[in-house]
Amino acid sequence: MSRPVQKQTVAVDAGDGALLHATVEGSPTAPVTLVLAHGWTLAQAAWEDVAAELAPELAAGELRLVRYDQRGHGRSTWGTTEPVSIDLLGEDLRHVLDRCAPTGPVVLGGHSMGGMTIMCLAAAHPGEIGSRVRGVALVDTSAGDLRRAPRTRAQRLQQRLEPGVLAFALARATFVERLRAVSPPSSRTHQKVVRGLLYGADATDAMVLAGAEIMHASSVRSFATFYPALGEHDKRDGLAALTRVPVEVLVGEEDKLTPVSHSRQLAQALPDAVLHVEPRCGHMLPQERPELVAAALRRLVAGARVGV
Amino acid sequence: MTSTLPSPTSTQLSPGREAAVAIIGSGFAGLGLAIRLRQQGTTDFVVLERGHDVGGTWRDNTYPGAACDVQSNLYSFSFAPNPEWPRTYSGQPEIQAYLRATAERFGVYPHCVFGADVTGARWDDAARRWRVQTSAGEVSARVLVSAAGALADPAYPDIPGLDSFAGTVMHSARWDAGHDLTGEQVAVIGTGASAIQIVPAIQPQVVGLAVYQRTPPWVIPRGDRPVKPAARRVYRRLPGVQKAVRGALYAGRELLVVGMAKQRRLLKPVGRMAKAHLDRQVRDPQLRRALTPDYTIGCKRILISNDWYPAVSAPNVELVTTGIAEVRPHSIVSRDGVERPTDTIVLATGFAVTDLPIAHRISGRDGRTLAQVWDDGMVTNRGCTVAGFPNLFLLVGPNVGVGHTSMVYMIESQLAYVLDALRTMADEDLAVLETTPQAQEAYRQLIAERSRGTVWLAGGCGSWYLDRHGHNTTLWPDFTFRFRRLTRQLDRENYVGTPAHAEVAA
Repeated sequence: MSRPVQKQTVAVDAGDGALLHATVEGSPTAPVTLVLAHGWTLAQAAWEDVAAELAPELAAGELRLVRYDQRGHGRSTWGTTEPVSIDLLGEDLRHVLDRCAPTGPVVLGGHSMGGMTIMCLAAAHPGEIGSRVRGVALVDTSAGDLRRAPRTRAQRLQQRLEPGVLAFALARATFVERLRAVSPPSSRTHQKVVRGLLYGADATDAMVLAGAEIMHASSVRSFATFYPALGEHDKRDGLAALTRVPVEVLVGEEDKLTPVSHSRQLAQALPDAVLHVEPRCGHMLPQERPELVAAALRRLVAGARVGV
Repeated sequence: MTSTLPSPTSTQLSPGREAAVAIIGSGFAGLGLAIRLRQQGTTDFVVLERGHDVGGTWRDNTYPGAACDVQSNLYSFSFAPNPEWPRTYSGQPEIQAYLRATAERFGVYPHCVFGADVTGARWDDAARRWRVQTSAGEVSARVLVSAAGALADPAYPDIPGLDSFAGTVMHSARWDAGHDLTGEQVAVIGTGASAIQIVPAIQPQVVGLAVYQRTPPWVIPRGDRPVKPAARRVYRRLPGVQKAVRGALYAGRELLVVGMAKQRRLLKPVGRMAKAHLDRQVRDPQLRRALTPDYTIGCKRILISNDWYPAVSAPNVELVTTGIAEVRPHSIVSRDGVERPTDTIVLATGFAVTDLPIAHRISGRDGRTLAQVWDDGMVTNRGCTVAGFPNLFLLVGPNVGVGHTSMVYMIESQLAYVLDALRTMADEDLAVLETTPQAQEAYRQLIAERSRGTVWLAGGCGSWYLDRHGHNTTLWPDFTFRFRRLTRQLDRENYVGTPAHAEVAA
């Protein structure tokens, strides 16, 4: 057998009762730790393809990889803090760093809500950026303003009804779960909706199914609780710390949830950041173009090794 | 059941000790026979117990979470009902307390020799007696009853490097309560009946837990609840009510046999219930897939648990399905080349069932051991007697096992058979009673015929129910009341008796 790769499953204590399910892979003596944060209603499994791309570096002992489930997602539990916010996820990420990467340089990668998580960490703990955190990849994400001012009457109505609909969904979660079960990820309608919303022209059916399965496993509660939190996320004035480290911004040209304009805004606020807009892709770059995301992460890791 | 019991005394066998009956083991089977002998007024018997108390499997399996998968009202002696069971399904401490109290109540302790590990038992044809060697001395007995059981000796897996492991290795049946798992990285090997009880019990306490699974079990909900004081009062005053509950539980469980042994398609609803249980408790699609069995429910033992699935889905647990390549001093390496740091290994790998260790120690008329005679598979008459092994009775021997209901029911069926054999020997003044090869062959055919088409053979799984030839040598493959009918009386026509006054053949 070739040299085995170390792996550990860790429950990170987030301080308020939440236990975060983290998977740590690679040699403890690797020079850099890469920590990946996933998006809304996803789980660490969403990074699977990227992790597969990085397997040689893991095996060679050049990299440690930490993937974790955000609170209320995947196999992580909920804590007592109410209401939840993306800032809270930033604190969670700090707990993950303290537990899983206590020493040595770190590169962070965040997809969608995971990217926002990193921005929150940077805003609340600017001291981490540049010292421990030596590089950041922001994939299909946004610094804020996801809830635009409504332009049409329909949009106005929608925004007025939203809180009620979400409250209903939460209160009747079991009922909503049963409704969801009527159209499982294996059904064509389900896949069509998911594809239309999240994926670009090049996505294969297998990709869509894999993503749909991960999202289907998320709970009504994580959908309904984090939806308003995403709307409130605004770190457009809190990005300063991120100018201190190399940043790669990646986005699918056909992204409908966090459209290209959001990534352009990030690139503007972070003048040294590298912006990559990938054609024929949607909101799921870690799945749609894992090699592209892995390449960006690899560049950041190489930079972190050399030092800033 | 928590009355203060005298601590069991350990006796040494006095030189030249003789007994009419020697019983190996004091679990449910050995204890049950001892009680029935006492009830008949027989006192000339000895119970040889390698441990230091009665209880057998229930004395030895003290791992965290150990409990019975059958309701206590059914999993207890019919002649010693216990109205005080605190829960519908009891844990190991309650069952062990019940066994001790029952042994005490029926005066079995004075017959027990503790620390008497049987190292060899040989039929002395000239004396027409069994010569039994134990670690506590020798005893000569007219009749030998092996109640050593099937879930007695741990089965250890053959994993490269296990000996080189620097941390602690514990078998579930030899749990070291003094070893604190708090803060450790623990590996549990196996996902059978023991593992699914251990994992939920230790998961909150350990830092990380890797569960190594070969084949996932089917798991159904456990309807465990406390028995209300009012119900206990009723049981105390109206024993008939408890008896009726016992009967209903028995009948309900026996229905499973229709699906397992007669019409496999009737298992489909049970399979659907188990799948719904899994889907309800495990959301992670990868984990759910890994936990979904690919064989018909019932092929391996159906397990019952409400906390197994939540425990394997807990944030600090990983289910490993790739198989183990080797154990290193501080880690386990799986076949996909992943190394997991490990402080303690828990072997939840079950028992040596199809190759019973006691069979290697009992030798019959021609000097060969039971194990040698059984090399091509275990054959018996009614799971109890073997040609060439006169005056030997096996309790919980081949094809007496059940996975769907109470073993105690099967044991009591066997007790009736053994007692009738002893009665026959007394009535006819027989010194020797021995079954015939023809009877064994007929019984082997009966078992093979009844096993054909059952879920254990045709369900698409390998299990500890089958021996290395793929034959069912452990389970009773039919309704258990049919076994009871078959063992109600000694089938005298299948036995050759030698009167006590007959000349010893040269």
